[in-house]
Amino acid sequence: MDKDEALAVAQRAVAIALDAGASDAEATLAVSRQFHAEVRDTTIAQLEQSTSKGLHVRLFVNGRRAGLATSDFSDGALRSALAATVDQAAQVAEDPLSGLPDAFASDWPDLDLEDPVLIARDDAAKVDDALSLERLIRAADPRIENSSGSDSGDTATTVALANSRGFGGAYSGTRAGLSTGPVGDDGGAKRTAHYGTAGRKLADLESVGFVAATAARRVTEMFGARKPQTMRVPVIFERDVAAAVLSDIFAALSASNVAIGNSWLAGRAGERIGSDLVNLVDDGRLPGKLGSSPFDGEGVATRRTVAFERGVLRTFLYDTYYGRKLGAESTGNASGGGIGPNSFYLEPGSGTLEDLVAKTSRGVLVLETIGFATEHASGTYSRGARGFYIENGELAYPVEEFTIAGRFPEMLAAVDAVAADLRFDGSVVAPSFRVGEMMLSGE
Amino acid sequence: MLDDSIYAQLLDRALRRGGDYADVFAERRRVVSYRLQDGRIHDGALALTNGVGIRVVVGESAGYGFSDDLSLEALLRAADAAALVARSAPAGQTRHADTLASGAVDESLYHGYSEQIADAGRYVGLLSRADAAARAVDPRIAAVNAHVVDELQEVWIANSDGRIVHDRRPMVTLGVQAVAVDGGERGSGYAGDGGRTSIAYFDAHSPEELASDAARVAITNVEAIPAPAGEMEMVVGAGGGGVLLHEAVGHGLESDFNRQGVSLYSGRVGERVASELVTIYDDGNLPEERGTVAVDDEGVPGQHKVLVERGVLRGYMQDTLNARLMGVTSTGSGRRQSFRCLPQPRMCNTYMPSGESTFDEIVRSTKRGLYAKSFAGGQVEISRGDFVFMVAEGYLIEDGKITAPVKNATIVGNGPDVMTKVVAVGNDERLARRHYTCGKGGQYVPVGVGMPSVKISSITVGGTHG
Repeated sequence: MDKDEALAVAQRAVAIALDAGASDAEATLAVSRQFHAEVRDTTIAQLEQSTSKGLHVRLFVNGRRAGLATSDFSDGALRSALAATVDQAAQVAEDPLSGLPDAFASDWPDLDLEDPVLIARDDAAKVDDALSLERLIRAADPRIENSSGSDSGDTATTVALANSRGFGGAYSGTRAGLSTGPVGDDGGAKRTAHYGTAGRKLADLESVGFVAATAARRVTEMFGARKPQTMRVPVIFERDVAAAVLSDIFAALSASNVAIGNSWLAGRAGERIGSDLVNLVDDGRLPGKLGSSPFDGEGVATRRTVAFERGVLRTFLYDTYYGRKLGAESTGNASGGGIGPNSFYLEPGSGTLEDLVAKTSRGVLVLETIGFATEHASGTYSRGARGFYIENGELAYPVEEFTIAGRFPEMLAAVDAVAADLRFDGSVVAPSFRVGEMMLSGE
Repeated sequence: MLDDSIYAQLLDRALRRGGDYADVFAERRRVVSYRLQDGRIHDGALALTNGVGIRVVVGESAGYGFSDDLSLEALLRAADAAALVARSAPAGQTRHADTLASGAVDESLYHGYSEQIADAGRYVGLLSRADAAARAVDPRIAAVNAHVVDELQEVWIANSDGRIVHDRRPMVTLGVQAVAVDGGERGSGYAGDGGRTSIAYFDAHSPEELASDAARVAITNVEAIPAPAGEMEMVVGAGGGGVLLHEAVGHGLESDFNRQGVSLYSGRVGERVASELVTIYDDGNLPEERGTVAVDDEGVPGQHKVLVERGVLRGYMQDTLNARLMGVTSTGSGRRQSFRCLPQPRMCNTYMPSGESTFDEIVRSTKRGLYAKSFAGGQVEISRGDFVFMVAEGYLIEDGKITAPVKNATIVGNGPDVMTKVVAVGNDERLARRHYTCGKGGQYVPVGVGMPSVKISSITVGGTHG
């Protein structure tokens, strides 16, 4: 289905919603073609290929809202489903703030979101990437004899959005990814690690050789890891785990969480919270990035928003509804009926991860975290972790089975070094950074 | 959902290049939901799913295609996509029966479902009652968010052994989150319940009780002191403590990880893997529980499985692909999130039966420790069994007495290590309230957990307070 056909489906859904009794309606159609291969050793474990279509309609009946998700776009099915959705809206409280945005995207910059090379690529070449990953992780070290699989996949997606205020727009984009999970034999015990790369274009990906080598090193460098003592130390977050920390900060910046009291940032706009190095940006218009699109989930133009500037909380991130609720304009962050990131990132500083380690006399480098324990209301962060103990600016030995914990206000205030190793391999990304002191719980 | 002749046609098409096995998974799902925020009904939603997934298995390889377009042309395309895998692996014996025989399913495991969407006022009434009850607990309750979900999933599974089954699975959920604010401190609490039944479940299980519990936990957390850091004893609460079994042991016993030699439990059936106080079951047949399946997503009836018996590993949870490759039979553990996904071996309802100790004895015997009354969730790393749990409601134990509540503790440990450190098992086994969902490889399925009170002699608590 091309962009025009997709837009026509969305427009037809809007018309049917109005017929069914909605005073306003918006329809988003997403069509994506997916390819995925998972290889273990020399065997293709999974080969998946499909096209999926999803239509989401948000409708309003005089300030009462309800939504429909369906994949059946026939007139008859849409008529009966939208009639049921209008009935649901009758149960909802009237809310003068709810409704479509007041202004929509009107410019169509070329954001370079689609890769013709990827679209034209032969499936066999994609499978070969996964086969190569499997071969290379085993070749990297004799102690790697197994894996939890290597994956190669891509999607090509077209999104069309239409609403009853006359907005209509569509865009297409691609995404490709490679990842691998080698398993090493550490003296009879098993160890795994994962490493992957992703981007809108094939040329944006790290090479198969680099991905395999990095994953293999992540396994073997942890051999003989010990449990550290309980202590307060500086903690360096390598860029992948740094990005996961940023996801928690994004959740606290989401106006939907702020409005319902589920954010430690509520009521603190304008305050200095982080150190000077804390510059957090949401940008929907970076050419060629995974988080970019011309308009958000409500048809509002995406933009660049500085949420934290030199540690000062400048703004939350809004969709239309929560913007109205908290007295602000949408920042173009509507996504899937809620609030989501475009490209949300910490601005890079200088130097490499190795430089951060070199200027840390005693501390911990965290390479992997597990768990998802963040209490957003209080801003309490806690994770299981593994990585390296640092002594005199050098990686002394690998450590595991410990937790790192802190409160976000104190962690952000203690960010005292940021590296330059930012890569846009997701929609929430960060360079490696150091927090001056956190609680590490081990023995 | 489709004519029987179409299932047969799709199976033929899927196997036309060869293959050991093929199945067709047709799904129709209807989800009605409402959310409450700020003391009023915020929105309603309807989600309708119709789709078919087709799989071809050749040796260790699985090919998959799906379609949300039910036209014959689109379905045949999905079958062709699934068949592609047979090109790149040696083809085995094609088995195919000419006619499909219907298998029976035990619908008594599900306690009713709504054929039609229930009267809408009934859903929103539950939310309003929950809101009022949470706010009535304490003036410090500053916000209440609640949702109600009524779902009916129908599946039809046909396979190349000539069998077709139809299963109709209901699921209702009521969830309440309360946020307490006291000065600059904030705390939240969550409670959820429901199961494989109709919305009438909440006639007997009042939303008031659920909401009061969420509010009580929020107040406990706003008053809580920072969690301690370091190694200490831990008492795990009955019911919700079952998350410990799910993460520390359960995932490591799923057959895919064991066939691949990735799990630390690979090749260890018959060996001692835990303290002899430890017995663990996984059960797909518990009436009304979230993890219950009359048949799994490969059409195999749900079963009661002994995973660990008095500390000895007895068996893995098997789906058909891994079972066939390991020379055993499926345990009815093949589950998937939707027709868009390949099945995986998964847990259903995982629990530990009662032991001998009373809860009071367990607490009294604890010098300095953490009482983890319930967990908010957890995660495990399969190859080593390292896990993390988030404590939803926790208290200090000092000199045999439960004392101050502690805020947002995280527990970190190693599955096999912690299972040898089980030093007491309570006589108070129960299943947790039904709100758990398990994620694996990006697929989410409903599960149940249960446990008696258990004492662990030493574990690392990851608080902020040294």
